[in-house]
Amino acid sequence: VNDVIIRSDRFGEIEIEPDRLIEFPDGILGFPESRRFAMLDANDSGLYFWLQCVEDPALAFLSVIPWEFFPDYAVDLSDEIERSLAVAAESDVLVLSLVTVQADTRELTANLLGPLVINVVAKRGCQLVLADSGFSVRAPLAVA
Amino acid sequence: VLVLTRRANQSIVVGNDVVVTVLEVRGDQVRIGIKAPRHVTVHREEVFAEIQKANREAVLSAGFDAELTLPVPKPAATPQD
Repeated sequence: VNDVIIRSDRFGEIEIEPDRLIEFPDGILGFPESRRFAMLDANDSGLYFWLQCVEDPALAFLSVIPWEFFPDYAVDLSDEIERSLAVAAESDVLVLSLVTVQADTRELTANLLGPLVINVVAKRGCQLVLADSGFSVRAPLAVA
Repeated sequence: VLVLTRRANQSIVVGNDVVVTVLEVRGDQVRIGIKAPRHVTVHREEVFAEIQKANREAVLSAGFDAELTLPVPKPAATPQD
């Protein structure tokens, strides 16, 4: 099987095996046509990842694993979601929050209201909407 | 857009298995009941719009900086043993 080549605006040319791409069958809210993403380490912390879209070279999301920044955060997966993502074990699941740089303060914030849930084994993901959870779309990533 | 008139306790069927019922009309507020299969997600439009907007902002803002300083979490209190 041939590698997929993404000519990314941010990262230049990325070559990746197709089975390492993560598919979002329903897209990401506001980007319904963007289905396949390459997940790239943003630094060596193991906490930050870029999600570079295959279909749209200009589209890249910065994301963060939320747990260590927000110890009280919780994402409850319904049976329906687990089924649609083919979750077999809890360890299959990776939760990511999309990161925004606030224009005025340059502060980084995480979207806790609409987390990405990814089955890292099946390479399938979706964006959840935690309506009525009270979680923020702009939770500051506190600097140590 | 399909526009139709319903009274309280009257319903609309969408597709085969989604039923939208007007429960109560009071002034400019309408209470609505929605019966849908579990795999159909139902949300207030504002919540959807808020997340769409946040997603777009995330893409745009992350494009500004070639080098972002990524915060590290505060070290967790180590349990005493």
